[in-house]
Amino acid sequence: MAGATTAGRAHAPSVSSRFMRLSATPGQIALALGITVFLVLFLIVPVGTVIYVAFTEKGTGEFTLVNFLDFARTDLFIRSFWNSVYVSAMSVVVASIFALPLAYITTRFEFRGAMLIQTLGFLPLIMPPFVGAVAMLLLFGRNGTVNLLLDEWFGIKIPFMEGLNGVIFVQAVHYFPFILINLSTALRNIDRSMEEAAQNLGSSGFRLFRRIVFPLAMPGYIAGASLVFVKVFDDLATPLLLNVKDMLAPQAYLRVTSIGIADPMGYVISVVLICMSILAMWISARAMRGKDYATVQRGGGGLAKRTMRPWESALAYAAVLLILLLVLAPHIGLLLLSFATIWSFSPLPDAFTLAHYGRVFGESFVYVKNTLLYASIAGLIDVVLGTAIAYLVLRTKLIGREWLDWAATAALAIPGVVLGIGYLRTFYGVQLPDGTPLATLWITIVLALAIRRLPYALRACYAALQQISVSLEEAAENLGATKMRTVRRVVLPLMAGGILAGFVTSFATAAVELSATLMLVQSNADAPLAYGLYVFMQSAAGRGPGAALGVIAVLLVALCTFASHMIIEKSQRAKGASR
Amino acid sequence: MNQPLPISELGTNAVDVDIRNVDLSYGTNHVLKGINLHIRPGEFFAFLGPSGCGKTTLLRLIAGFNQTDGGEVLVGGRDVSRLPPWKRDVGMVFQSYALWPHMTVRRNVAFGLEERKVSRAEIERRVAAALELVGLAHLADRRPSQLSGGQQQRVAVARTIAIEPKVLLLDEPLSNLDAKMRVQVRRELRDLQQRLGLTTIFVTHDQEEANTICDRIAVMNDGIVQQVGTPMELYEKPANLFVANFLGTANILPGRVVREGGERFFDIDGGVRLPIPAQVVVPEGAKLVFRPQHASLAGHGAGDVLLPGTIVHSEFLGSTLRYVVRIGAAEVSIDTPFHSGETLHQPGTSVEISLSLRSALWLAA
Amino acid sequence: MLRHSVAAAALIGTALFTGAAFAQSGKVTVVTSFSKDVTDPFKQAFEKAHPGVTLDVQNRNTNAGVKFLEETKANNQVDIFWASAPDAFEVLKSKSLLQKHKPKAEGIPDKIGSYPINDPENLYSGFAASGYGIMWNDRYAKANKLPEPKDWQDLAKPVYFDHVAMAAPSRSGTTHLTIETILQGEGWEQGWRTLKEVSGNFRQITERSFGVPEAVNSGQVGFGIVIDFFAFSAQASGFPVKFVYPTVTTIVPANVAVVANAPNKAGAEAFVDYLVSPAGQEVLLEPSIRRLPVNPAVYAKAPADYPNPFKDPSLGSRVKFDVDVSEKRTNVVDVLYDQTVTFQLDALKAATKAIHDAEAAIAKKDNADAKALVKEARGLVAAVPVTEQQASSPEVAGAFTGGKEKGARQAELEQQWAAFAKERYQQAQAKAEQALKLAR
Repeated sequence: MAGATTAGRAHAPSVSSRFMRLSATPGQIALALGITVFLVLFLIVPVGTVIYVAFTEKGTGEFTLVNFLDFARTDLFIRSFWNSVYVSAMSVVVASIFALPLAYITTRFEFRGAMLIQTLGFLPLIMPPFVGAVAMLLLFGRNGTVNLLLDEWFGIKIPFMEGLNGVIFVQAVHYFPFILINLSTALRNIDRSMEEAAQNLGSSGFRLFRRIVFPLAMPGYIAGASLVFVKVFDDLATPLLLNVKDMLAPQAYLRVTSIGIADPMGYVISVVLICMSILAMWISARAMRGKDYATVQRGGGGLAKRTMRPWESALAYAAVLLILLLVLAPHIGLLLLSFATIWSFSPLPDAFTLAHYGRVFGESFVYVKNTLLYASIAGLIDVVLGTAIAYLVLRTKLIGREWLDWAATAALAIPGVVLGIGYLRTFYGVQLPDGTPLATLWITIVLALAIRRLPYALRACYAALQQISVSLEEAAENLGATKMRTVRRVVLPLMAGGILAGFVTSFATAAVELSATLMLVQSNADAPLAYGLYVFMQSAAGRGPGAALGVIAVLLVALCTFASHMIIEKSQRAKGASR
Repeated sequence: MNQPLPISELGTNAVDVDIRNVDLSYGTNHVLKGINLHIRPGEFFAFLGPSGCGKTTLLRLIAGFNQTDGGEVLVGGRDVSRLPPWKRDVGMVFQSYALWPHMTVRRNVAFGLEERKVSRAEIERRVAAALELVGLAHLADRRPSQLSGGQQQRVAVARTIAIEPKVLLLDEPLSNLDAKMRVQVRRELRDLQQRLGLTTIFVTHDQEEANTICDRIAVMNDGIVQQVGTPMELYEKPANLFVANFLGTANILPGRVVREGGERFFDIDGGVRLPIPAQVVVPEGAKLVFRPQHASLAGHGAGDVLLPGTIVHSEFLGSTLRYVVRIGAAEVSIDTPFHSGETLHQPGTSVEISLSLRSALWLAA
Repeated sequence: MLRHSVAAAALIGTALFTGAAFAQSGKVTVVTSFSKDVTDPFKQAFEKAHPGVTLDVQNRNTNAGVKFLEETKANNQVDIFWASAPDAFEVLKSKSLLQKHKPKAEGIPDKIGSYPINDPENLYSGFAASGYGIMWNDRYAKANKLPEPKDWQDLAKPVYFDHVAMAAPSRSGTTHLTIETILQGEGWEQGWRTLKEVSGNFRQITERSFGVPEAVNSGQVGFGIVIDFFAFSAQASGFPVKFVYPTVTTIVPANVAVVANAPNKAGAEAFVDYLVSPAGQEVLLEPSIRRLPVNPAVYAKAPADYPNPFKDPSLGSRVKFDVDVSEKRTNVVDVLYDQTVTFQLDALKAATKAIHDAEAAIAKKDNADAKALVKEARGLVAAVPVTEQQASSPEVAGAFTGGKEKGARQAELEQQWAAFAKERYQQAQAKAEQALKLAR
């Protein structure tokens, strides 16, 4: 990328006239090539080495599509496919039910603690692997706190965590922040006169929301909802921990990781997952085309914040509290578990202790340090790439620029195991001067994390750039700034909020990522927190310490997130004041 | 809208708007201070003033977007002060037009009627009528983003009048248009208002806009109504220095009143003295105010006074010549008609200005 | 952006440096599926016994560990593979990823129970053993008024319906061995019948071995088919769980192997030798580990109630176990179980429930026709799509090894087997429901 700077300044007439037809400067082309190389090297090649099996014939190794025919002919896969579609769609619905009231109340009313809610609403994304599900089962399982109490009081049990519905419940709790974050931003960006015009014409209350406010916030909602859909579609950990196996992602995982069996179907399913994810993102992009409302509006600020009447206020607090209680249940359970001596078939733990924290305190330091380091670098790589891709897609006419977007987004759909194996295959052969394979360096973990979380950062950067009027850049160029300097002095500062939001999402979710990491961790000294958690959660005695480590992870990431929120808020206010 | 307007189906019985002792504060910021105004049925009324004077706040208060701290607003005799915006039947056209980008022009215009549960056929009829009225029937299925600024403005108007509001509120409706469109659209607005006979309140900071289309104007400054009157009254008889200065060009000569031997004189700061006619009332601390065309350099009629001065600038404006002349410590503008073959006095020339004291005013701040 | 690339270069530089530093130390790299509770005491003891050598433990589940060795064989950095499941070692062995090493230890017999302790070619060695059994949550059992089970067959009883859990044999090598033991002990047909009758009572079939003890510990499931140390370590942690060895149980060894092309071969061999030495064997007796030593002499130091497979005949020795038979059909058995049980659990449970209900009704009011129908239903549930001969035949087994030769594809067979099972479970349910009507 350093090359882009110098190339951007060189203006040999013959070269520039040739590139005029491509409507891009040499610098932009160099940037695009750089990103392409990165994506090819760290995404397409590693994944390709793994999933090409899906297209080969058994015995001969020749190209074939018969495996896909097998997919279509196997009841289990078709059932899994529809189950995955159903669960993903319903998760979007349930997640919307959680997210809508929170987003609406915090953006539309004078509501004390709105900022706290926005931060707490982000927490579910930071659900450490294993412990989160264990905590959830202890609270909502068949013999969890809620059901044991219900059984005692009313003699009934509610199957929160059973089968597909259980998966929907847990996934909705886990991923609803995607909708909350995007929807809140969209709601804040609606011009207040849009709402007032409707009130003036006689509209109010829910009708006003349904007919005007929500349609205007639609792009944000679709962005969040499509992310939820794709993540749920591709997630394997939650269904497996709830023992639901007839969904696509778990099927892929089970097959890819079966020892001694060379079954192409795992990779066939991976291909299907990737295609479905790209399809979902494409549909959402289509749905949003020409609906980029935020940028076409003029006039004053976001929606008016109304003061609530006492009864409204009470109702709102009750609703917010209930939703927060529900979506933070895994974390509440985790906290209880981390202080629990024994928690077995009882509404609450038998007794409480600090011993688990004592046990993890000494040994977790190296995990904490590694996690912060890896997640920060991964987040940094993500926002750099995300900004660059967003810029190329939105601001240049480079041929095939959308492919960068699609490729980066496809990473969302690639199972962590597939990426992990791909990295081992691709980079283990590459040796460093002293003979150690490239794949043993912790930087490969960082690269894998960066690739896995790139889609999040990309979407945030994309949205941020979309809201900046092109005229601001034209003004800078008109005043003599080169494209490069315009980007640095005008575009990047204006995007700062979005970039930081992207960084936070990438960072926070990378910090608790397990699947790719597990494959790539080469020594305890290089291991991140999620790996430490995994190790603890392999034994009965490790449950408490594992939970303690989980709490530490959540607190750590939450703290970083909160700090970033403060920075965003501050910079927004500064920008607002100078406007 | 060059063709004859269709006979409106949207006419309403005009009502009056009565604003009584309205007060409004944002924290310590006292935005509206005891406003009293009566807007007559069918009147085209303007709130005119510089930005921050409270005119938009007052308009939004009538629409219900701001709540009064004290006083009330009556529309057609009914107190609407405590009603939410959606129950007021007061149509507002926003400065930004606030057209919903996710709806076509037709859906935008139909919105208010749908909210009122008007029958489908009736909606269709009234939407068509409203769009016809603003001359946009052929663009009904476009999206707002596909329209020009002037077209968007007309859609915003159509959307508002479609609900047949009792009162029409216009919040700087011309500010987003270019100069040429502005002149055209303001005439259209006036025509429309005349045709519908709709009580209309118009917020602007542009005195020319207000003068050209409004029946009466309330000049506002600092949260207070300075003066209410027809454009001519305000021009001819401004109640105070602010109004005089805000409407058209006013020359203001500071000085003080002196009595010598039963006669009153006005000593203009800088040494020029002129007599004050006996019947004229001069308030305490007043300044001498006159319009550029009420003084001249050539000759003088009965009752005029002569003031010595020096030309600072001279400009040829086509039909008139404008001189900026220093009198004492002040500078004043003088407009004289241009006669063929005339030459401009050069800066530095000493001249005598003849001023008609009958048209001059002594106004306090 | 220039600054970023400089930063990245600096990072890579640092990483290079630290990488080089590691390679020269006396480090033994171990890939293991054992939990910290097991590895930590061994690490301490071994490092104490061999000053200057550090044990770097990489924790992966067995499947991932095997995959890892496979993928990195071109440039192997691992010295030791250390896990329970013998089948994982068999896979590694067949792919020539292990290195021959005969531990220098005395007094270790050839077999524990009926299972050979060491690989005949000395590519891997057993260092401990564990027995399979039934673990249950006492609070759960009391709350649901469930009796304490004593044997596998007990778990097939109607009273345990929806209360039992097990790990999928395809995901857990030790569970696979248990299944294989039942199939060998009872014969192919009868073995599957027993398996399906027990499986019909399952609440869940977990994807991880540890998923079962976890579910029992937290009380989400009452009873689990688990390897003994899961129960023992849970008891040691204070969980209200109990454990019993059934009369017929498998004893499965836990193994260790030196990886082919180990960078630190000497260190690796020292570690294997240490594990089977008396000092290493004694570490197994620690409460957090609690596995059965393969050296009979070490039991002298064990607590009084410590199970001793070399003395107690119920621990393993009653079962015959043919490693060759097991090896040939490993994949077939796993996939068969997954396709007919794991992925058809709902249908199987529905059939099982219907049969239980019908039988309960018949017990109250005898009806010959109903009895016949139930018998038919049980037969339908027990049916297996492949015979014992087919299971070990190259045509069927070959479908799961991929690559090499043309033949039936795994997906084709899976679909056939799944359809076979599903159809029969539905028929069984219908027949049992019919029987219930007759017996009313």
